[in-house]
Amino acid sequence: MKKRLYLELENCIGCRSCLAACTQCGGHEQRNRNYVYDVNPLVNRQTMPLMCLHCVNPACARSCPAQAIQIHETGAVLSALVEKCIGCQNCTIACPYGIPKFDTEQNLMYKCDLCIDRTKDGIPPMCASVCPSNTLQWLTDEEIEAKQKQFHLKNGKWVTSMPYLEGETNVRVNLPGILQGVTKLY
Amino acid sequence: MQRDKFFKEIENVCHPNETLIKTHCSYCGMQCGMNLRVNTKTNKIIGVEPRYDWPVNVGKMCPKGVTAYQQTNHPDRILKPLIRDDASLKGTTSGFREAAWDEAYDLIAKKFKELQSHYGKDTLSVFSGVSMTNEKCYLTGKFARVALQTRYIDYNGRFCMSSAAGGFLRSFGVDRGSTLPWTDIHETDCLFIAGSNTAECHPTSMFRVWNVQERGGYLIVADPRETPIARRADIHLDLRPGTDLALANGILNLLIQKGYVDEAFVNNHTNGFEETKELVKEFTPEYTSQITGIAPEKIIRAAEIYGKAPNAIVMFARGIEQQTKGVDNVSGYTNMALVTGKIGRPKSGVATFTGQGNGQGGREHGQKSDLLPGYRKLTNPKHVEEVCKVWGITPDEMPQPGVSAYELFELMEQKTIRGLYLLCSNPAVSAPNQNFVRKALKSLDFMVCADFYLSESAEFADVVLPSVTWSEDEGTVTNLEGRIIKINQAQEPLGESKPDWQMQAELAERLGRGKYFSHLKTARDVADEFRLASKGGYADYYGATWDKIDKQDGVFWPCRDENDPGTPHMFLDKKFYHPDGKAKICALPYRPPAEEPDQQYPLRLTTGRVVFHYLSGNQTRRIQFLRDMCPEPYVEVHPETAAKYKIEHEENIRLYTRRGEAVYKVKITEAIRKDTVFVPYHFGHDQSINLLTIAALDPISRMPEFKACAAQIEKLRK
Repeated sequence: MKKRLYLELENCIGCRSCLAACTQCGGHEQRNRNYVYDVNPLVNRQTMPLMCLHCVNPACARSCPAQAIQIHETGAVLSALVEKCIGCQNCTIACPYGIPKFDTEQNLMYKCDLCIDRTKDGIPPMCASVCPSNTLQWLTDEEIEAKQKQFHLKNGKWVTSMPYLEGETNVRVNLPGILQGVTKLY
Repeated sequence: MQRDKFFKEIENVCHPNETLIKTHCSYCGMQCGMNLRVNTKTNKIIGVEPRYDWPVNVGKMCPKGVTAYQQTNHPDRILKPLIRDDASLKGTTSGFREAAWDEAYDLIAKKFKELQSHYGKDTLSVFSGVSMTNEKCYLTGKFARVALQTRYIDYNGRFCMSSAAGGFLRSFGVDRGSTLPWTDIHETDCLFIAGSNTAECHPTSMFRVWNVQERGGYLIVADPRETPIARRADIHLDLRPGTDLALANGILNLLIQKGYVDEAFVNNHTNGFEETKELVKEFTPEYTSQITGIAPEKIIRAAEIYGKAPNAIVMFARGIEQQTKGVDNVSGYTNMALVTGKIGRPKSGVATFTGQGNGQGGREHGQKSDLLPGYRKLTNPKHVEEVCKVWGITPDEMPQPGVSAYELFELMEQKTIRGLYLLCSNPAVSAPNQNFVRKALKSLDFMVCADFYLSESAEFADVVLPSVTWSEDEGTVTNLEGRIIKINQAQEPLGESKPDWQMQAELAERLGRGKYFSHLKTARDVADEFRLASKGGYADYYGATWDKIDKQDGVFWPCRDENDPGTPHMFLDKKFYHPDGKAKICALPYRPPAEEPDQQYPLRLTTGRVVFHYLSGNQTRRIQFLRDMCPEPYVEVHPETAAKYKIEHEENIRLYTRRGEAVYKVKITEAIRKDTVFVPYHFGHDQSINLLTIAALDPISRMPEFKACAAQIEKLRK
């Protein structure tokens, strides 16, 4: 059963467990490939994770002159292939979300590969495994659809995946304010 | 056991040439389940893999948990005993030389014996902590009383959990930090959380907390700061630090006035209602608002939401406990549950978030100055006799009760205490009024410190003994639910390090008390004796065998015998532990914090944690990822307050109180009250906020008032 990374932005508590967990994934060489931002640092404690959205037609791969960025059959957009990457950094410029980073020592781009060695076998990526606030979840399309039904937002738009921003993505992100649509128990 | 909707069947990843050891995190009271990845060729811990099958955290971990494994093979580990020959270097990292275990033990035995022959048995003291296993906590109590024969033992739980213990004992007659398992939390209708920055201190509770709101339930948070959970709460009661009791009384008054009292429950199962009803009458929303600074309508709405809730859980943590009325605060908030009858059933109850890994178990088995294993009291001759039977001593050999943690330092400064055996704690960072505490440590004639890193406190020691990390030993720990769990060994002790229980048994031998300890050859030997010593006490662990713990995903105490599965929910039979079986609704007059702001010190200082560090930071400040995320302390200041002092974001300022001063970088944020500043306490030396905090103690729990004192800011000249 295909599962997706799903982000419930409002849950984020800024703990950076996802970053710490990312360093623990095989082949990530103790370096995180995802990020967490303070939204209004001088005002409140609202934070949001910034993960690779694994675009269906990714700008990073489109812009790569060496075809070093491969797309796995699961939809995961992989880190640049060591043997192909020429270190031109086109991908870091092209990505609208600022995900691919550049390792100047190795002259090599690195980015989230959705823990492909885990997710190809249906095991959640490290970030979603550990996320203590359920900001990052690993769900089936049916589970995501059930969530959509649970929240009644007036504009009907609750997932920023298509055709907004870069285009359709494999990762689903809900809009802030999701709880406004929740009916109280009493 | 409890498998809830968050539980999913997920396979663990295990790479070739690796094995996974099931265990639990080394840090806070959640004690999250995790797998340590061990290289089978080198037998070294090399990483972590989520443990999806553990019911409490179902694979989730905070950043400390993810990186905890890096402690064990860290280059800062102390691998051999260290001896300092030049006492003038005390208080620094200099002057230590490596020594053999025999030399270190001989020196300790000689010095301890000398001191005791000159100044009496009670000149020695033991200061311990509760980040260690139940077995170690138990043996530390026995070591102090049987091997050292001193009355002076206490532990850092006085800085952490003793107010919760005092409050629960008074209200219920028993102190189990949570009356229900954590797997109930997301199923309740209303969470009332007071004085807990849950998102940063117990992050793996958060998926359950958020789920209450996702289901349409309510979240009420009482906190001076707009913490991540306060930010999203339905009601944020933004009170002045140190005014919790007024708020608790105000809400109780409203619950009574608006008809939310469960009369049958109050009549049949509680005492003290009428008296309390009379006392809280004066706490009208307006009067409560005057004291706390919270808008009256928010207090009214909070009481209404809690009162109407079919099920509700009141939760709290150090915010209300680290005050001179910490015990009263705990009983005050517990009153809410008792008056409305929202206790003694699933999905409703009271719980405290435990800060230290074994904050629960560690306070039950005799590390406290007045307690013996199983929550027995030193002042009760029957209790003393029961423990003496297990230990093989006579009641007249049992030392009298001693004094609390901070008071030990006062006795050191007065030279009543001249020797100290310190383990699993770092009071040179975590105790209040640091200038005094450090002076007291320096004045000791002889100090031993057992630790796996050279902590700020170890800098005052004459001998440092290398102990092991949690992953190099085995034993049980009791998490914040009251669930006894098993810590498993993943690696052999590094270098020449040894578990604390082994050191204590070997030292007892050198001190001529070997016959009481020589049978303890393994951690399991200690566990067997410890279960027996707790048998028949309130905190009865006798039936919690290691096998049962493995089979049942932990065992909740009390667990009295082989056939007893344990007690996940307390008071289901509506029987409380006071002699008449009733709980006590407490009438608690309000009193202000020990030190109120004045002209010279117009601000309130409060302290707390950040998500990246644990306690004094001795462990977490050494982990690269955590240090990168939070390398130094800071002072949170409201933008309007900052404007008043003409200070800017990230500018260094001097913060001072009547006890001390320190320089901190300013963090401007609207998440703090205008009359309050906040500094995290995980940092040592000149950056320790405890240079400034006050050592005013709660009269019952002897907990210092870390959460409120008067302070002032000074802009530094450029």
